[in-house]
Amino acid sequence: MSDIGATTAAEGFRTIRMPMSRDDARSLRAGDMILVDGEIVITAGLPTVQRLVACAEGGRDPSFPLDGGSLLHLGSYSQDTADGGLEILYMNPTTSTRFNRLMPGLIRHFGLTAVGGKGGLDAGCVAAMQEVGCVYLSFLGGGAPLHSAAIQAVREVAYGDLVAHYRLVRLAVSALGPLTVGIDAHGNSLFDTLQDQARDRMPAILEQLAKDRAAAGG
Amino acid sequence: MPITYDAVKALSADLYDWSLRAVPADTKDGLRRALETETQDGARKVLRMMLGSAQKAEDEGRFVCSDAGVPVYHVTIGSAARLDGDIKAAISDGFDELVGRISPPLLKHVTNPLTNERGYKGRDMPLVTWDVAGGADWIEILCQPKALGSGRWAALETFSFPTLAEIEAYVMKVVMQAGSQHCPPVIIGVGIGGSFDVAARIASKATMRRVGSTNDEPVLAAMEERLLRAVNATGFGPMGTGGDTTALAVHVDYASGHGYTPVAVCFNCWINRRTRARLHADGSVERFE
Repeated sequence: MSDIGATTAAEGFRTIRMPMSRDDARSLRAGDMILVDGEIVITAGLPTVQRLVACAEGGRDPSFPLDGGSLLHLGSYSQDTADGGLEILYMNPTTSTRFNRLMPGLIRHFGLTAVGGKGGLDAGCVAAMQEVGCVYLSFLGGGAPLHSAAIQAVREVAYGDLVAHYRLVRLAVSALGPLTVGIDAHGNSLFDTLQDQARDRMPAILEQLAKDRAAAGG
Repeated sequence: MPITYDAVKALSADLYDWSLRAVPADTKDGLRRALETETQDGARKVLRMMLGSAQKAEDEGRFVCSDAGVPVYHVTIGSAARLDGDIKAAISDGFDELVGRISPPLLKHVTNPLTNERGYKGRDMPLVTWDVAGGADWIEILCQPKALGSGRWAALETFSFPTLAEIEAYVMKVVMQAGSQHCPPVIIGVGIGGSFDVAARIASKATMRRVGSTNDEPVLAAMEERLLRAVNATGFGPMGTGGDTTALAVHVDYASGHGYTPVAVCFNCWINRRTRARLHADGSVERFE
């Protein structure tokens, strides 16, 4: 298994410090794969994101500052430790498109430089990201063992009234990734490009299916 | 010797636990085969990460995915099996017991669809299907936790006397709807015919077949081969960020029906959680996956 899971910086991935600077965000291109160090903010909760939208619209500060930082769609299991601290037992991405409607406002209001999760975001989000200078980082789904091993410390947990994966969590991570830049700050989305490409290919794909059916006697 | 409530309860809990901490061997073999044929560098890196994540989960007893899904069990009872106790309650109680003892704890994914409130319990939870095996003296339980990532994209449409071309075009339509969303490379189940509920069940059951196996029916085997090539020609790739590997397998099955023909398409994400074991009359447990 020596070639498996060899995902360290030694493999040549660029490492970016989080919170990501706007210059770093703009330096990335869709398709790049990176590692991240530093502090990230995560939640998998729609109610949580709705609360953040309410903060933005009501001119209130969220439980901890998000300005110029990240908001990643990752779910985690957080719990108190015996010494009064907090620990994360595991974390993994959730489907970002669930948040499509809410993300453009948050990206603009907080000037986020990085969002992420899995599956990408829609065109409205891509436009907001281009305007602000923000990238979308695609995490490996089913990557909980890898992602969780990158956690160095839990800085803060907010919205403790919500189920664990909905809480807003600020974490310190080291060598988290590799993460694929799914959407860059220049309006390029791998997800949109691939959807368009598949749609363009579909007539030829259906034609090939017809040929294969004929060859199989169907 | 009868198969007891306690044995079914313990196995139901264990199957769920095991399913969370490993990727089935056939699925890992499928990922390794994909790694040999995948032409895009980024996609190869993602496939390697998948195998690395699966290995780390097994080595360290970690969950592969934080979304443990909801408990889904498929139970086959041998018609000659002797039962002692409430087997249905045993499955539900087994899951409850697991929730109480599993480490690390499960996140709350059982959702009331009317309120979106989440917990560990809910109406008709766990989701259980029942079947009978003629003459057998065992009980077989297959556990297949289902989560939103892939479950969200299942679809069904009913046609009138469809051609194979129409059926296959519909499969591709559902594949396009799912796009990059369902944690590819996926296992695709297609159920054709029967009735609304039967088609859905056939599709779901098709996802449980071993990755890399060949359909016994030549017509379906040929359909599976060409649909797999077609799905992988879309280019969505591992995690939907581009590549030749969007599906590891397409499994198709059918039932006779009336001229109205439901076609159901469902997906399992790349971790393809699935564990299966038999409880025998002598008290032994035979684990298959």
